[in-house]
Amino acid sequence: MGLIGNALYYSFHPMELRAIIQWKVWHNPPHERNEKNETENQKICFKFLDKTSRSFSAVIKELHPELLIPICIFYLVLRGLDTIEDDTSIPLATKEPLLRDFKDILTQDGWTFTGNRPEEKDRELLVQFNHVITEFMNMKPEYQAIIKDITEKMGNGMADYAIKAENDDASVKTKKEYDLYCFYVAGLVGEGLTRLFVEAGFGNPALLKRPNLHKSMGLFLQKTNIIRDVREDFDDNRRFWPQEIWSNHVDNFEDLFKPEHLDAALNCSSEMVLNALEHAEECLFYLAGMREQSVFNFCAIPQSMAIATMELCFRNPDIFKRNIKITKGDACDLMHKSTQNLSVLCDTFRQYTRKIHKKNTPKDPNFLKISIVCGQIEKFIETIFPTQSADAANRKVSGEATAAELQRKREEDENKKDVYFMMALMGVIVVVVASIMIFAAWMMGARFDLAFKEITSGNFRPPVKSQLEHPEL
Amino acid sequence: MTDSAKKILISGGTGFVGSAIVRALAEKHPNFVIDVIDQSPPRPEHVLPERTTYMQADITSTETLTKAFEAVKPDIVVHAAGIVPDLAERWGRRLEQEVWKINFEGTQNMLDVSKHSGVGAFIYTSTCCVVIDDTRTDHLNINEDRPLSFRSTIYGESKAAAEALVLKTSSSKMLTCALRPSVLCGPGDYQLVPSIHACIAKGETPFLIGNGLNLWDVTYVDNVADAHVLAIENLLTSRTAAGEAFFIQNNEPIVFRDSCLAIWAHFGHVPPFEMHIPKSLAYFAGLACETVTWLMGTTTTLSRGSVRDACATRYASGNKAKEILGYEARIGIEEAIRLSCEVSRYHKPNFFYCRTHRG
Repeated sequence: MGLIGNALYYSFHPMELRAIIQWKVWHNPPHERNEKNETENQKICFKFLDKTSRSFSAVIKELHPELLIPICIFYLVLRGLDTIEDDTSIPLATKEPLLRDFKDILTQDGWTFTGNRPEEKDRELLVQFNHVITEFMNMKPEYQAIIKDITEKMGNGMADYAIKAENDDASVKTKKEYDLYCFYVAGLVGEGLTRLFVEAGFGNPALLKRPNLHKSMGLFLQKTNIIRDVREDFDDNRRFWPQEIWSNHVDNFEDLFKPEHLDAALNCSSEMVLNALEHAEECLFYLAGMREQSVFNFCAIPQSMAIATMELCFRNPDIFKRNIKITKGDACDLMHKSTQNLSVLCDTFRQYTRKIHKKNTPKDPNFLKISIVCGQIEKFIETIFPTQSADAANRKVSGEATAAELQRKREEDENKKDVYFMMALMGVIVVVVASIMIFAAWMMGARFDLAFKEITSGNFRPPVKSQLEHPEL
Repeated sequence: MTDSAKKILISGGTGFVGSAIVRALAEKHPNFVIDVIDQSPPRPEHVLPERTTYMQADITSTETLTKAFEAVKPDIVVHAAGIVPDLAERWGRRLEQEVWKINFEGTQNMLDVSKHSGVGAFIYTSTCCVVIDDTRTDHLNINEDRPLSFRSTIYGESKAAAEALVLKTSSSKMLTCALRPSVLCGPGDYQLVPSIHACIAKGETPFLIGNGLNLWDVTYVDNVADAHVLAIENLLTSRTAAGEAFFIQNNEPIVFRDSCLAIWAHFGHVPPFEMHIPKSLAYFAGLACETVTWLMGTTTTLSRGSVRDACATRYASGNKAKEILGYEARIGIEEAIRLSCEVSRYHKPNFFYCRTHRG
């Protein structure tokens, strides 16, 4: 969209423009990175962060200084791993040990990798990976251990997947496989981050005892991406929608993209959304365990973006035609709402859940299931932020008033009294002023008796003086 | 304790809920001896297990009750008998005396006779209406701390008074508890599914009153029966439920409009369009209908009360029943709606059946 296009768009969507301006003008990052105190090496790492991630770099850079470097490095390590896995030009014999031993590479000073094909997007990161390793070695040993552990798990998961892809069909068959795939690519990141938060004292330690919560955080994001990117992935010959779901609606996966199967495709996409929405409740539960604003923002922004994307994709035929995205205005509005507190975020979730619910149609075989999952989300939000307490209801039914209500009533009564007094005073003033004026007029010779007589006989206008005629003029 | 043979008397046992309780009990505790008392004899639509004995008894008459109790000598009593005024009478006051006589005095009689004949446990089938029929407050995710309301509908008031009496009576000699199921559905239900189904023929399906966001938590009848079995087991063992009331529901709140849409979809009907009617307008229309019927002395389906019903949010947290009774809905709402609709498809519902239905 050019400038004119933008101008036209925003003149019809003023709320979006307002959201963008609000975000740009009023957003105060809880923490800002202090470039003056950074080493050259750290600066290089941040440069790579900007290069490799569009969406994450901004939120990472607003993190609390304690976790700023560890999470930046964690991200770059995983990105490095990803770059090896994605590259189809690397033979399995080289790839597998690289993936499995990547955790040890993290402690090999000066390690770099130039084996990526030239068109690989983040090739440069691995070419200069020594900077990441240097920074990794400078971190607290506790953080190192966490990142190492996750790298190991993810590397092994990726290696297993690569072997499977080489030997047989790697397409996702069951919902269980789908969950497992999402767990390896996103759920593990959730685990690592949670352990970092808790280690730094920014997360409730109880989160570690409920691994399904951080698992849901990762799965919710990943599943949203998989639903949104179905067309793009299909064009790249990748399929992540599990057969267990699409086979309920179409005979071949390709049929989803054919206009004659649009109804079936839409029903299939709504079953995918249903599958993802089952994680929403646990995501909110997880976010209740955040104890620091920047960490809360870091986790909440992607989640609210995900639910909004889910709403956008729900029963939207466009997902089978092209890549769709939430608008910039909506994104700014969501970021604004995700950087306040849990209550505001819950309102956002409820708002989007209701939008999804509104698009739900009884023609869909999963109509009721979607309705139930929307109801569960609303009920959960109501559980953490009740609209009305039992006490308040008790008082209402028994007719009792609280001290605050009594106080308010007393104040209202006093205000009323004041108003009446003022009105009476005004009345008195009017009477006094009027009498003074009448008295003054009378003193100056006003003939009220004549005026009164004229009025009673029906002449309301003053007598018109007959015009003097000057015919000669 | 629960494995020894117990004698159980169930009032209203030939009715919709009562018969479901009898079936659930007979299945889970085959050694229990089950006696049913009811005003009406067993009916084909509410099947009773073979070994169940039936006695005709009117709960409003102490003599017939005493006779029945002397014959059975029950250890446990489930009091499921009651009258539910049908929708047209729900917000009116026409049946007040009759409703109070059956729901309140009937319960009082049951309690008195039970105490005298040495009953050890008394389970009362109350209703969520004891709380939610009070329209002065919201009912989102409510729990059992919410007050009983004595200013609501004739049904809600009479059941609330009866429930309070039942719970007050609880003592070490006779333990009592009350279960408050929400709106019920299931095969043989004569209110919810049939009246929603009837909207298709009347061409009322496109009209949506209010914002269409209000959640309801409907209960499948077999789940309520399970809750009764759990309550009996609790009062025979840990006794933690004694003197307590519990909301019983499917724990799957859904938008009221959606349950209607799902039911219609089962009968192959999808509303051709949707038209929103603001609550205030519907409320006004309800008032107009009420005025006309007040002048004519008849009843009306559309009233301010029924508009409030359609727009109200009503669901409970359900945690207390889960924690104390270990209750969880065995049959999910999707299955529940399917089962309810399937039966209704074959039995043409008769809406005027059971105007003074007991049980």
